[in-house]
Amino acid sequence: MISGDTENIEEASDEHLAWMLQAMEMAEEALTASEVPVGCVFVRGGRSIARARNRTNELRNATRHAELEAIDAILANPALTPPSLLTSGAYPLADTTLYVTVEPCIMCASALRQMGIKRVFYGCANERFGGCGSVLGVNKGLAHPKHPPFDATDGYCREEAIMILRRFYVTENTNAPTPRSKTNRVLKTDIPSREPTPRHS
Amino acid sequence: EVEASSSSNHVPEDTSDPNAIVPDEDLPFTRVKLTSDEDDEETSEAVRTVQAWAVDIPDPRHTTSALKWLKSSGLDTPTLSHLKRVRKSPTGTHSTLLLTSTSPTIAPELPSDLDLAAPYQLAVPRSAALTPTSLALKNALWPTVFAPRRKGEPEDWSRARAQWACAAMVRVVEEARAARAAGELPIASYVPAPPEEPAWPSYLARDTRVSSAHPLRHAALNVVRALSNSTASTSASIIPATAAASTPPTSAPTKNGQHYLLTSRALFVTHEPCVMCSMALLHSRVKEVFFLVPMQRTGGCGGAACVPKLEGVNHRFAIGRWKTGAGGVSVEGLEIDEDIDS
Repeated sequence: MISGDTENIEEASDEHLAWMLQAMEMAEEALTASEVPVGCVFVRGGRSIARARNRTNELRNATRHAELEAIDAILANPALTPPSLLTSGAYPLADTTLYVTVEPCIMCASALRQMGIKRVFYGCANERFGGCGSVLGVNKGLAHPKHPPFDATDGYCREEAIMILRRFYVTENTNAPTPRSKTNRVLKTDIPSREPTPRHS
Repeated sequence: EVEASSSSNHVPEDTSDPNAIVPDEDLPFTRVKLTSDEDDEETSEAVRTVQAWAVDIPDPRHTTSALKWLKSSGLDTPTLSHLKRVRKSPTGTHSTLLLTSTSPTIAPELPSDLDLAAPYQLAVPRSAALTPTSLALKNALWPTVFAPRRKGEPEDWSRARAQWACAAMVRVVEEARAARAAGELPIASYVPAPPEEPAWPSYLARDTRVSSAHPLRHAALNVVRALSNSTASTSASIIPATAAASTPPTSAPTKNGQHYLLTSRALFVTHEPCVMCSMALLHSRVKEVFFLVPMQRTGGCGGAACVPKLEGVNHRFAIGRWKTGAGGVSVEGLEIDEDIDS
């Protein structure tokens, strides 16, 4: 029995990894577009229902993180969000799992909880804004009078998620409020265990 | 959703000096303190510390090379920027180099060509010193930066500015009541033109989660979107030559990237913003937030959490809780369930 369980966990693990690789593709797309490289995939019933990436620079709106982009797409699609569901008061994401390359920030973690997300998997932690425990446990630790907590699991594609953020930050972010010269920066490839320093913006 | 002009911001006539500073107790709001846990480090027990790695440099002449190596090593993170990097021994026989605060269990790797001793851990102050007393206490642990004036320190309010705030709160309450009349939740937010920059555009938005069938269309997020939508049409490449109203005022912040943020702007909102909205406002670099109705169980500005007070976040904004009845503002018609995220 024990070996059977291990097999199941391994199968699940492969599945999570496969979805996270799709989220990484979206992060790559963000990097190509000179956005902070964070990408995500929302999965329901074994299939992807929305893929998105950070668009803060393009939309001139610091709140347009990948997760909020995808949520808007899901809610705008009546096939994914029947109008009757919303009027009934049910949570639109109750059967939906999120795969995102970086820990959702405090804003996104709160949004996901308000939408009743089932579960979240993320790549690397976010020490500046992380809302699933790094800065504030909005998913679980923080009490809410109504919205149920959700589990957030890190580690899938963690090193890839860190490296793509580093690739972004060694180049100059000309859209940053105060661009810094980064000509002396070198791309570091060593990754300390569980001590990442990525940022999510 | 967007109000193009700030003409509604008439300050009531007053014969007294508009520049007179209003004492805190006479302001229409109470300042929410953001720094309580940083204030009391006046005894050695109260100094908050963090574990860090350090290494002794037996020959002080190697200090410069060691510093150079540290810069390129990737160990030099902003988390210890409030501390000096080098401490000289009182007798001048050696110096000590502060390495990093991360990976507390694994010793950092050192260059072999510098003749360094084995790294060791020690407790160092967690933040800069705010008073001479705390500086002395912290220096005893490790040389610390003295920063008596810090960002977010309460600024003086003139009578004119207080009247401007009252007018803004009256306006946003009016909008919230109009929202309720239209079938929405009675929640609104408002970014008025600053009193010293009356030509800047103002932005007004209401909660639209009912009409848009979208649980996240909160007033604060909507006002951030209104600002983005209006600045999107004035971006560098496509400024319409004739649209004077949408041309950014020449005195507006023109620094790269700041045109779409709430930098230097105050936001007035009827209900304490939820955790999501509070963080959205932090991402947008808002300067200050004034709210009328506290949301004890869901609010992110002191209710369920206080987002700009969290350790680690890269921006702080000031928070003012409106005093009951101040400026003639009434909460009538603004009642919502206490478990709602506003």
